[in-house]
Amino acid sequence: MEIRIRGVSKHYFSEGKTIKALDDVTLTIPARKIFTLLGPSGCGKTTLLRCIVGLEMPDTGEISIGDDVVWSRDKAISVPPEKRGLGMVFQTYAIWPHMTVFDNVGYPLQVRGAPRDEVRERVAKALDFVQLAGFEGRPATKLSGGQQQRVALARALVAEPRVILFDEPLSNLDAKLREETRKELRAFLEKLQITAVYVTHDRVEALALSDTIAVMRAGSIIEIGTPRKIYFDADHRFVADFIGRANLFKARVRGEQGGHTVVDCPLGTIACQRRDFPAGGEATLCLRPEFIHLVRGEAPAGHNIVNARIETLTFVGENYETEIRVGEELLLARVDADASIAVGDAVSFSLDPAHCLLVAA
Amino acid sequence: MNQPRAAKLTWLLIAIVGALTVFPVLMLVLGSFSEGLTAFGVFTLDKYVDAYTDPALAEVMLNTVIFVIGASVLSTVLAVFLAYLNTRTDIPFKFLFGILSVIPMMIPHLLFSVSWALLLNPSNGLLNLGLKEVFGLEEAPLDIYSMWGMILVEGLLDMPIAYLIIAPAMASFDVALEESSRVSGASAWKTLFRITLPVLRPAILAAFILGIVRSLASFAVPSVIGMPGRVPVLATHLYEMIATGFATDYGKAAAVGMSVLAASVTLIVVYRALTAESEKFVTIAGRGFKTTVIELGAARMPLFALVGVLSFVLIVLPVAVLAYTSFMPYSMVPSARAFSMMTLKHWRDVLGDPISILALKNSLFLAVVGATLGVVLSVFVAYVIVKVKTRAAGILDSLSYLSFSFPGIVIGVGFMWFFVQTPLYSTIWALLLGYIATYLPYGIRPMSSAFVQIHSHLEESSLVCGASPLTTLKRIIVPLLIPGIVSGWILLASMFVRELTLSVVLSRPGTEVLAVQILRFSEDGLWGKLSALGIVMIAITTALVVLATWVGSRFKTA
Repeated sequence: MEIRIRGVSKHYFSEGKTIKALDDVTLTIPARKIFTLLGPSGCGKTTLLRCIVGLEMPDTGEISIGDDVVWSRDKAISVPPEKRGLGMVFQTYAIWPHMTVFDNVGYPLQVRGAPRDEVRERVAKALDFVQLAGFEGRPATKLSGGQQQRVALARALVAEPRVILFDEPLSNLDAKLREETRKELRAFLEKLQITAVYVTHDRVEALALSDTIAVMRAGSIIEIGTPRKIYFDADHRFVADFIGRANLFKARVRGEQGGHTVVDCPLGTIACQRRDFPAGGEATLCLRPEFIHLVRGEAPAGHNIVNARIETLTFVGENYETEIRVGEELLLARVDADASIAVGDAVSFSLDPAHCLLVAA
Repeated sequence: MNQPRAAKLTWLLIAIVGALTVFPVLMLVLGSFSEGLTAFGVFTLDKYVDAYTDPALAEVMLNTVIFVIGASVLSTVLAVFLAYLNTRTDIPFKFLFGILSVIPMMIPHLLFSVSWALLLNPSNGLLNLGLKEVFGLEEAPLDIYSMWGMILVEGLLDMPIAYLIIAPAMASFDVALEESSRVSGASAWKTLFRITLPVLRPAILAAFILGIVRSLASFAVPSVIGMPGRVPVLATHLYEMIATGFATDYGKAAAVGMSVLAASVTLIVVYRALTAESEKFVTIAGRGFKTTVIELGAARMPLFALVGVLSFVLIVLPVAVLAYTSFMPYSMVPSARAFSMMTLKHWRDVLGDPISILALKNSLFLAVVGATLGVVLSVFVAYVIVKVKTRAAGILDSLSYLSFSFPGIVIGVGFMWFFVQTPLYSTIWALLLGYIATYLPYGIRPMSSAFVQIHSHLEESSLVCGASPLTTLKRIIVPLLIPGIVSGWILLASMFVRELTLSVVLSRPGTEVLAVQILRFSEDGLWGKLSALGIVMIAITTALVVLATWVGSRFKTA
């Protein structure tokens, strides 16, 4: 079910100051895809989610789910959350401590007045789906964090909602469990073919889970795209910097050459992925550390070839993280763990124009 | 709940709680400037002049200062000692500490004071009689009817509250602070005095100040122990002005009461600031923290023996002495002869005494009806304080905390000024209103912590699942609140059963309550009857506390 958000704003008043939580957001969330709202804390992503689900009221704008307008200021429509037919997994899971697993999961069906047999059958199905078959009689408080998370998911799914929403559901799990649960969740959602809106501040989570990512900052959506597009081909400097580790340089555009945009920057003259920047204009060059392949020794000057010197080396297990010096600039790069390399060594690297990303200054 | 409705509820509650708490204070102020109960509203400064030029006042003030500081020092030192042993050392039988901290719920202060008088009064105190026999003394060696007696008994009574403040702070103490001191070269003792106690200073100071507030408001100890020993303090000074002799003077009492109230409110403000500070001070962030246990070694058993003696003195002794006295025809040291003379005479007298039975009925009525109304009000107040975070809700929070600092006897005088203008005067409803107003914070506290536990996600999640707000209230919020409601009810009921300080002012012939009746027996020296009625009172409050513990454990899953 498609979700359309038109011109939604939301303000808070706190200690005499007005805070713009959402600033005229317009967005269409496609049906049957996993859509992620990603951004630093305080960017408005959770507020937007809570406006969709109906726990908060925007100040302006219109929200519709499928063909139904659920909120509109102009038409004075405000559907309460219990009438929106959605499912949600909360950051704290919100498992009711005074109920069993069965009652927790069956609740959405019970409050809709479903017959007992149907409730039992569908709860069993939902629990089976999240691999908790047979847990019906457990008190909810006797579950581990990961199990609670899956009960919360089963509860969100059991009434076959039009949309399922996730508010940072993995942030309370430890690192290893988070990774496993992330994979499971992806598998569950792919099987379900349901519209899912997912809120997180964790970029790895967003990249691994989503079909589409919307990056937010200060109440606005900065950029929307597939994980690959956002990672490799961001249009905005903020997005490029937020989504992964990046070396950023000021660059001045020379012009186009052989299908590449050529810039002058502290690394020299570099051919980059083609962008429509006017010649003579300013831009930012973004280089991800994983695409800087270092070779020992100095290399003869050539296209996109840079000479550097190792400044620091830090062993982090799977490889070395190294800072290399090019003139005045320090770049972050990686070196294989078994490479015989030392601080002070001369190195060189060659850059594939496809991995040299230009964003607006 | 939507905002206009929440705001309406907030202001309604501010009006109710304000009427209950601010009103008596206002009446006290007006009363202190008035001619007398019958000539209310005629402005005069005479009462202040009269009250503060009284030559007896200087001695009363000095006694009060010595009494409250002495009792508070004793209770705080004991509490620090016990809390340290329990939270930080390998002392055996730690369950004793939990029991020590709920005693004040079970043994009313009045009866605790009486039991010490029975043990250590100079004419026929059991311990004095025993000591005289053993050492062949002419005179009783110990006299509880003195300043040190008052400090000892009040200090023991206030210790559990101080313990409840200090023990959690000690338990959540980050041991790394101590360990780094040891690594830096400080000995265990030096670390205790240079690091541990200073870090806990806000909590310890808070306990100390609360001790001062409580002993300032205390009436049981000054009346049972101080009055026979002619050691007047402010509470008994006030009591003498309004309840004894022929010339009762409520205006003068109100004038003196104003300074007690001012002192008490100031101290509570300081106390609140300190507890907020202590939360900041020792809060530990994150998990993976555990306390190291200090091995007491050779000191283990002697220290445990000390705790054992303290438990005996606090729990077993008072009840045993009362039970024993209730069966004795007159005071005598326990012996074979004494036990052979046991009699049910006092029990028959008390149960046949119409006033005692009336007092019992009145106290039970006040406990049941008062606790029920108090809890209903507390549920709404706690809801607004915890869930509606507007500025008005903040006012309600402060307002509901105000009566925590009211010395019962002073606020009783304020109520007196009010009730005498209304048909409520000398009815049981006057007591009911006074009880609820004075003890409201004790009902609100368990309710607020119950509301705090209900994370807003639990409520929101139910809405998203398709449940209406009403269904959410029925199936999610109320079930989660039940433990708080039950424990709040029982706490209030057990406090109302033994209420003394407010009752001595408001109770009139026909509205006697248990504690007042016991005080009368004490004033008349009818120890046997007193003990029998006292055991009845202890039985009721103990039953309530046991019930609370049982209910608490049943709902512990939440």
